[in-house]
Amino acid sequence: MVRAAAKNELLPGTLDMLILQTLTRGAMHGYGIAQYIQEISDEVLQVEEGSLYPALQRLLVKGWVKAEWGTSDNNRRARYYTMTGSGKKQLGAEAENFSRMVQAIARVMQTA
Amino acid sequence: MAKLSELWRRTVFFFQRNKMDRELAEEMRQHLELKTQKNIATGMAEQEARHAAQRQLGNLTRMEEESRRSWGFPFLESLLQDVRYGLRGLRKAPGFTAVAAITLALGIGATTAIFSVVNTVLLRPLPYKDSQRIARIQTISPMFPEFQLGESIPDFNDIKSGARSFEAVAVYEEKAVNLTGPGEPEQIAVATISSEFFPLLGVSPALGRGVLADDEQRKNGDVVVLGHVLWRERFASDPNVVGKSVMLEQKSYTVIGVMPAGFEFPQKSTAAWTPLIITPENNKRGDWFFSVLVKIRPEQGIQTAQNELDGLAARLSGQYPKEDKGIQFKLTPLQQQVTGGAKSGLMLLLGAVGFLLLIACANVSNLILSRGVQRQSEIAVRAALGASRARILRQLLVESLVLSCLGGTAGMLVAVYGVDAYRALAPADVPRLSELHVDPAIAWTALVLSSLAGILCGLAPALHASRPDLSLALKDRISSGSATTHRRFSLRGSLVVVEVALALVLLDGSALMVQSMVRLLSVDAGFRTDHVLTAELNLPNSRYATPDARRIFVQQLLDILHAHERLKNVALSDSSVLTDNLKMMMFDPGTLGAGDNSTTLQMRSVAPEFFETLRIRLVAGRLFKESDGKGSPRVAIINEAMVRRYFPGQDPLGKILKFGHEPDDQPQIAGVVADTRDVHLRTEPRPQVYLPMLQNPDPSIHLFVRTSAAPLALAAELRKAVWTIDKDQPVSRVQSMTEVIAESVAEPRFRTWLLGVFAAAGLTLTLVGIYGVVSYMAGQRTREIGIRVALGAQRGNVLRLVLGQGIRLAVGGAIAGVLGSLAFTRLLKSQLFGIKSTDAATLTGVVALMLLVALAACYVPARRATRVDPLVALRHE
Repeated sequence: MVRAAAKNELLPGTLDMLILQTLTRGAMHGYGIAQYIQEISDEVLQVEEGSLYPALQRLLVKGWVKAEWGTSDNNRRARYYTMTGSGKKQLGAEAENFSRMVQAIARVMQTA
Repeated sequence: MAKLSELWRRTVFFFQRNKMDRELAEEMRQHLELKTQKNIATGMAEQEARHAAQRQLGNLTRMEEESRRSWGFPFLESLLQDVRYGLRGLRKAPGFTAVAAITLALGIGATTAIFSVVNTVLLRPLPYKDSQRIARIQTISPMFPEFQLGESIPDFNDIKSGARSFEAVAVYEEKAVNLTGPGEPEQIAVATISSEFFPLLGVSPALGRGVLADDEQRKNGDVVVLGHVLWRERFASDPNVVGKSVMLEQKSYTVIGVMPAGFEFPQKSTAAWTPLIITPENNKRGDWFFSVLVKIRPEQGIQTAQNELDGLAARLSGQYPKEDKGIQFKLTPLQQQVTGGAKSGLMLLLGAVGFLLLIACANVSNLILSRGVQRQSEIAVRAALGASRARILRQLLVESLVLSCLGGTAGMLVAVYGVDAYRALAPADVPRLSELHVDPAIAWTALVLSSLAGILCGLAPALHASRPDLSLALKDRISSGSATTHRRFSLRGSLVVVEVALALVLLDGSALMVQSMVRLLSVDAGFRTDHVLTAELNLPNSRYATPDARRIFVQQLLDILHAHERLKNVALSDSSVLTDNLKMMMFDPGTLGAGDNSTTLQMRSVAPEFFETLRIRLVAGRLFKESDGKGSPRVAIINEAMVRRYFPGQDPLGKILKFGHEPDDQPQIAGVVADTRDVHLRTEPRPQVYLPMLQNPDPSIHLFVRTSAAPLALAAELRKAVWTIDKDQPVSRVQSMTEVIAESVAEPRFRTWLLGVFAAAGLTLTLVGIYGVVSYMAGQRTREIGIRVALGAQRGNVLRLVLGQGIRLAVGGAIAGVLGSLAFTRLLKSQLFGIKSTDAATLTGVVALMLLVALAACYVPARRATRVDPLVALRHE
């Protein structure tokens, strides 16, 4: 099955970018981020949800996201992540990098 | 910037890591909860929904660990863990830890101590301003080809006015001067100096002023600058001493200044400085009695300055052929001049201590290696649990680093006390001893080096241990006879071989030095040295200016001593014995008729009983008599070396020695005496002429009293006897001849002693090393030995088996050591007396000793192996 093959085969380093991109919509908690990425990508990008958390810690240390405890829709305590200014900059740089790479790969695939 | 803020956040997180941990756990639990609910909503049963959620989330423990790694400093934390673990391991093996740490402490401590000495004495600049640019000029004249002479005043003036390379030129002369006044008369060392002397060295007096140009003209009368020690001892550190007067050579000198403590130039013993007054008597070309100090201009190299001096010497040689023909001026940096004599000895010690350090490192390496083998299964378990090779390597290296830090710290203590001991035990004539201490920079360097040594020591064992054969190590706790064992064995074996070789070189060197010392002390000096009291008188010019005045003093002295019951066996001479000093006499080539172009002879003027008192054998003719005095014909006694050199196959008796044109300078040879080693025990006898003291009275008088009791008991009586003639005459250097000899060999003796200590330490370490390796090898073969015993091997067979293994290593090391000795002991050649550096007997003896020690080291584990109970050994697995 195609889906099985695609599962967990995220390009290295792209998880950070996906998280940052998700957070452009506003503050979200971990579960929300995972759900969003899955839904938007038509369930193609099925992140091993646990690996989200080490990635979030990395982003915290880098100073690209901030975390705050708040209350969720159904009145639960949850940790909300928001993007910082330097996170926005980082996202810009990574997105540009990524699209260059994708274009390059696409060109190779078309000509070959 | 970004890096810095990240570091800050990391630190903050690190300190909040418990809170972070809790929050993360809560977050992930919630995630799981939400996921489960979502799954239930899609129609799963609750249990199934939970399992599915867990699957989707993945391994939570691993995620938590991974997250934790982003907070704080995982590398440092695990390093700290390694250090803690290492310390715990060392505590659990106290024997291993103690032996390894002591070994390292010995090696590092001894090396640091000796290097501190080398650094202070040889490397550190002298404590003078711009000391690297200060140099001395000496004269080499074809008239005294074997000697480096000082300068004459006229030559000094020509250098001062003619040479452009120097920014300052100073001259000084060293003298023994009698100090009188309240208290006992005393002879002190004084330097008479030109006004440039103190400014050139960049040292100013602590009190008062130095010597000015006016003082050289005696415009302020006779003045003196006191040394700190003299000021303290003779003037009780009187702060108002400037302006007071001191009696030197029966003349009154006004104190103008006091030098600071620690200023010891030109000699450690220099007690005072007076201006050098130039008079017609000392301003003679050809009187090379003065020392010249120069400061080379910063932009000039020493070679440029030397070239300029060469030109100047050539000019003077042409201008004043009578005195300066063929002279050369030799420029030597002051540092080299002061410390040159100590250099070879110190380098020798440094080399020896380096060997000791290498032995120590090899030993510790071996110890760590055997410990690594014992821990093989532990390491295998770690590797099996997923530790990478790098991680295991790091842990092992950290452990040896911890060990070497322990050793290094202990080594610092050894170094500090070692340097203290060196200062206390070293003979006083070692230069710059008072400046000696452990330099903090060196201490740090040593600590860093010891850490490096620790890494080095640990590296080979760690590489081995971190490559365990997993299945083998886990399956078979004591692996035996496999390929890995073989490889390890050869590394351990070669370490022991190296150790044995290094220790053998050390032993051989020290054995050579000891024998050289013994031979030096037992050499036939040609005269008796036991039960002799020596003393020195210097008759001041102010009171004994004429030969007649001195003759009268000598006659009175002889009369008084001869009348004294215990002092009557007395010999007088104008120079000392066994102090490396000698008096030379110059004569024109061809004077002695032998066609020999050497122009110097050793000369000594002596009172009549000199030969009898010192038991110097008369070979032919007669000795001096009381009647060989002022009015009687001039006579001389020569030694056998002189007969061999100048009168081979002839009868020298009755021959005339023409040392000048006056009849007084042409003595007739009256006798021949045996050769003596009176300059120094190591110095071969040279042609020597003895003249009667009453015909040639000298201001310098050395007394030698033969006593029946302990010589020093008579010191007070001797002083009293002299003071009955002249109460202001100091009697200095009152010593027994035994003390004089001990002083003359103090330096090589000290060096020999130190070398012996290093060699003994090296031998002990090697003993420990061999013992450790053989024990280990025997332990490895327990099962094999058990089988052998079970199959009927006798105790002797087992003993031979284990001994043989150790002895093979020792023999290998001994062969390498013999080769090493032959290569290295050549460097000792200049320090040896009466023994060749390749002495076969010494080498054989040392090899025998080494093999014996190796045998002893092997014997204990071999005996243990014979007690192997085959049942136990075979069930061991």
